[in-house]
Amino acid sequence: MGGRVNEFVIHAASFIDAEGFGNDRTGRRPWPAAGAEALQRGDLEALRWSSLFNSETARFGRMDLLSRLGLMAVELLDAGFETMEPARRDTVGVCVETRSGCTATDLRFLQMPLASGFAYTLPSTVLGEICIRYRFRGPVLCLLPVPGQGGALEAALGWLKRGEAGACVCVACDQLDKKIAASALSPDDLPSGGWQGCAVLLGPRTSGSRELPWRSDALPRLARSFCSPGNPTAGPAG
Amino acid sequence: MDPALTTRRAAIATGGAVSALGLGLETLEAAVRDHPSGLRECPRLAGKGFQSTVAGFVPEEIWHELRQRDPAHADTPAFLLADAALREASNPLWNRRADDRATPSGAGQAGWSAPPASRRGLVLSTTKAEITALEREFRQQPCSPIAQRQLFPALLAADLAAAHGITGPVQCVSTACISGLLAIQQGALLIEEDQADLVFVVGVDLLSDFVLSGFSTLKSLEPGGCRPFDADRKGLSLGEGAGALVLVRSETLAPPALTVTGWGSSNDANHLTGPSRDGSGLALAILRALQKAGTPPEAVDFVHTHGTGTPYNDAMEGMALRWVFGARVPPYCSSKGWFGHTLGAAGLLETLVCLVAARQQILPGTAGLRTPDPSVPDSLLRAPRPAASLRRLLKLNAGFGGTNAALLLEWGGA
Repeated sequence: MGGRVNEFVIHAASFIDAEGFGNDRTGRRPWPAAGAEALQRGDLEALRWSSLFNSETARFGRMDLLSRLGLMAVELLDAGFETMEPARRDTVGVCVETRSGCTATDLRFLQMPLASGFAYTLPSTVLGEICIRYRFRGPVLCLLPVPGQGGALEAALGWLKRGEAGACVCVACDQLDKKIAASALSPDDLPSGGWQGCAVLLGPRTSGSRELPWRSDALPRLARSFCSPGNPTAGPAG
Repeated sequence: MDPALTTRRAAIATGGAVSALGLGLETLEAAVRDHPSGLRECPRLAGKGFQSTVAGFVPEEIWHELRQRDPAHADTPAFLLADAALREASNPLWNRRADDRATPSGAGQAGWSAPPASRRGLVLSTTKAEITALEREFRQQPCSPIAQRQLFPALLAADLAAAHGITGPVQCVSTACISGLLAIQQGALLIEEDQADLVFVVGVDLLSDFVLSGFSTLKSLEPGGCRPFDADRKGLSLGEGAGALVLVRSETLAPPALTVTGWGSSNDANHLTGPSRDGSGLALAILRALQKAGTPPEAVDFVHTHGTGTPYNDAMEGMALRWVFGARVPPYCSSKGWFGHTLGAAGLLETLVCLVAARQQILPGTAGLRTPDPSVPDSLLRAPRPAASLRRLLKLNAGFGGTNAALLLEWGGA
């Protein structure tokens, strides 16, 4: 990643997995005791919007678990999307990567083929959920990273460099069906609980904006490092 | 924008296709001229309770040939289809003569030589990859380790790259039914940004029970076969197949060649399985493609639409075309009546239709169409006809998740 990377910065990062959730400012918080045991066991059915946020959304309950993870990660960015002007939302690109894809959701659909479930049998559906919630209409891409190759961060940075997007939300989410996927996926970027969601917000460097140092790690590792307790690296643009 | 990024462009050197129409790019060339339908009753879908058993399926004799040729992949049909398309696309590259001007693409012209493996890339487009492996797992039927592995699209991409001696960049795009156009975009970027000298872009998807049952639950299939843009259209027909194309730097091809000049994507931010009702999302994607290419709307000669045949999709596309082109919508068509909706392969197969249409300077027709919907623009192509000048071609796709994509292609000099 060379060239004009320095014009663009990471403004925020977030993470959610079996151990907890948080963002670059709060660090990772452990799950509160209620429900923590289920989540650590990997029972994502226990994951509710109200587990993290002071609100409820009926739509969230209809989503598959991959979409829940991705959407929660974006909400955890706490990036003020709700106050963004419509014209700016048209320029926000959303780039998703997932190593596991939606295989676990596919298995559920095979067991119970319902119309409401079919929409989630695509790894890119999380991208649609994010765009619907935040009214983003910029460029879109869902990549399934090939081992050893680049992913969403590289693609999103390209959008910014070429002027195809004004800001980019990059999301990585994985829901691992261990029986099917364990041997096929790189353990480096998959958490022990078998599931994770993370997000970063990329954009141009602007005066006074939150800013995290650029690194070319894989997206989950990058977000995890920014959200680790005791390792907040945010600071004003300088 | 960095000026260095605008100096290189990718052009399509060769292609390969396998679909309901048969094996080989010549099947698409014949389709553009002769306007057939590849949709038929599919015996392997019968008696399973699907809303429709009319589909664009690869003929059994082709499956037999592919399995005979590669027994190790006999239970990985997605690999077999993608590999067949890639083999056809790559043959002219390696078998060319130094002065071979007869290759269909112009590959092999002065200035072009086969790049080393590390400068060759591959981008795969698929929605469900080797989904039949999951079906077999679920039914507790035998499933080879290769099939289990290729259930993961990224690993199918890696295996295809290895099989074709590619050690450069490899990507896998899975963004619903716009995957194919995004994969071409990603491949073109690898050329433009000098990460590769030659990129294979391949799209593949299978006609599976999984997908048929999904679209049946949505009640979006047309029992008699799709009729895009027809006044009485009721739904889509699914298909299977693979399309591959080879991208190289445009200046290495002798003109005329088909160059990728622009692309754009967008999201409707509206609905997961239905398009926006006003076409504004697709219009945004088209305008972005035109802007990247520096092409005004009035310079577009032809539009190859997504054209699934569902009432909402086709109405949405008609509105998007009017949004961008006003009262002067260029001639447009859909190819879904030829080989069905092939999902992750659609963008590739339909871009190859644009390629053969440009080579033959023919505007393709819209198979399945009987009575055009009076509400869509009246420049809809019912049957093929010679083009006065087919130079700038616009390819569109839209998909679940509110996704839209547009690709602008230019036929002519480098």
